[in-house]
Amino acid sequence: MKQILLIITILILYGCQKEKITFSSNAFEVFYVENAGASMRVLVQGNTSSKIFVLVIHGGPGVGSYFYDTKYIGKNLGDKCAMVYWDQRNAGASQGTSNGNELHLDQMSEDLKKVIEVLKYRYGQDMKLFLLGHSFGGLILADFITKPGYQDMINGLIYVDGSHNYPLNDTLTRQMLLTEGQYAVSQKKHVSEWQPIINYCSSHTGNFNLEESQQLEQYASDAENYIDSINHINIATQVFRYTIPDKYPLTAILSNLLYSEDSNFNKELAIANFSPGLKIVTIPALVLWGKYDFTCPFPLGEDFYNHISSIDKKIDVSSKSGHNMILQDKKFFCEEVAGFVLTH
Amino acid sequence: MICKHMLKTTTLILALFYSSLCIAQCDSINDSSSRHFNLNLSYNSSLIYPGISAGMEFPIYHVNVQVLKNQKIVKFYTRGKFITGTLNWYHHPDFHDNLYLTAEWLMRRTKYSGFITEFSAGPGFSRTFLGGTTYRVDDKGNVSVVKLAGYNYALITFGGGLGYDFSMKKHLPFSAIAKMNIISMFPYNSTIYFRPVLEIGIRYFPIISGIKTRKESVTLSEQK
Repeated sequence: MKQILLIITILILYGCQKEKITFSSNAFEVFYVENAGASMRVLVQGNTSSKIFVLVIHGGPGVGSYFYDTKYIGKNLGDKCAMVYWDQRNAGASQGTSNGNELHLDQMSEDLKKVIEVLKYRYGQDMKLFLLGHSFGGLILADFITKPGYQDMINGLIYVDGSHNYPLNDTLTRQMLLTEGQYAVSQKKHVSEWQPIINYCSSHTGNFNLEESQQLEQYASDAENYIDSINHINIATQVFRYTIPDKYPLTAILSNLLYSEDSNFNKELAIANFSPGLKIVTIPALVLWGKYDFTCPFPLGEDFYNHISSIDKKIDVSSKSGHNMILQDKKFFCEEVAGFVLTH
Repeated sequence: MICKHMLKTTTLILALFYSSLCIAQCDSINDSSSRHFNLNLSYNSSLIYPGISAGMEFPIYHVNVQVLKNQKIVKFYTRGKFITGTLNWYHHPDFHDNLYLTAEWLMRRTKYSGFITEFSAGPGFSRTFLGGTTYRVDDKGNVSVVKLAGYNYALITFGGGLGYDFSMKKHLPFSAIAKMNIISMFPYNSTIYFRPVLEIGIRYFPIISGIKTRKESVTLSEQK
């Protein structure tokens, strides 16, 4: 018995937290960044020898970065650069105790800053770093780059189906749901599914409160199922496929997601608007959008594109994806991102 | 400072466990049939992640029940209640290692055939160790590595299992058990973290109970 305990103790003391920094074409390294009551998991995967790093800021809040780390991206993007998957606080595999009071946007931007500082400490100050914000990650990205001096830490940004202006986002979602819904009804497609959405949008016209905003988001997600041109994906299949090989801490992901979804933090988000502050952004930018994204409609991407002062910027649309272009049009996504990071 | 605190916690867990082992060795003069420790050792896993648990159970209540019909025994089983103390560990790569100590109330029913059903619940204490190098950055941008980074959590566990008691018919001093436990740790990111844990292991009884202790047991009759 005592020997077993001794072995366990030795394993814990020496087996864990062994620092591992690799420069290779196929790196896989996990480390944590501790800040303000949270220890956030960071996975670096792919070609670290390239010295090009793409830091993914996942959506949510609370979703975690596990779902972004697919085999396809590993093969088609990870061979050219290193993908960095950061689990935000109270998301994915990030851990902590009573840290709910620290769950707010400014804290997340500070977390991101610390993650970048650790990346540079590990892989060298000469690295090229790009931020890739998806959905809610776009809000963190917008908060981060509009802070004076913060954009100097990175070489460029990639904005994918993101949201930097929630009030505008809700207005655009409602408009798109109405337009597409009425068109579908006129074509006698999915009439019974569209009708309640049209009714809701007709009776909720603006100044949306949190509940209305969440209802619109739900309808936006449902609406993608009624568009035939979208390459539909099944998230449950993704989860089943990757849970064991990628060692998902499933129940932790779920606990974090449920907590973040219900958190008061969402009230703060409902009024977040970074459009006016984007004019200070001058670094190269790539804006990618799904044509059928109801959650963050394309005019939101145009708003971002038009507000930033970058001279070197590009906007492109995938004609077969909705809100999850990274999974729905992975070839388009990988080619666009690879082209951008390799030329900057 | 942090490192010292973490070492202290780890040492405390181990010290608590070792001290309970010492108590186990002081009991030999007393009535050993009713006051002995059973030792258990299990593989403690969830999904594919390995772990181990080792501990002991102290019986606080034991009764053999005979159900009679026309003066014939139609059913015989034993019911036991125990307090258990167990040290557990699992390793979830890239997530965390969890070392946790539990004290549980356990109820067990063993049939004459040796078939066991049991249920347990109780509090515990968990210390996690993060599954990767952990960094901290100060306000000036200086990066340092946090040694033995992880968190302390309160823990509640409950579970049920099935097994076979080899002492009932074969007079071997052990039983095999498969048990599903749910551990809940809190406050975990200001919420509760649940984790299902499958325990497969053996329990060793220094003194065989079951049929051999019949003369000390209470017999209940039920006439229909």
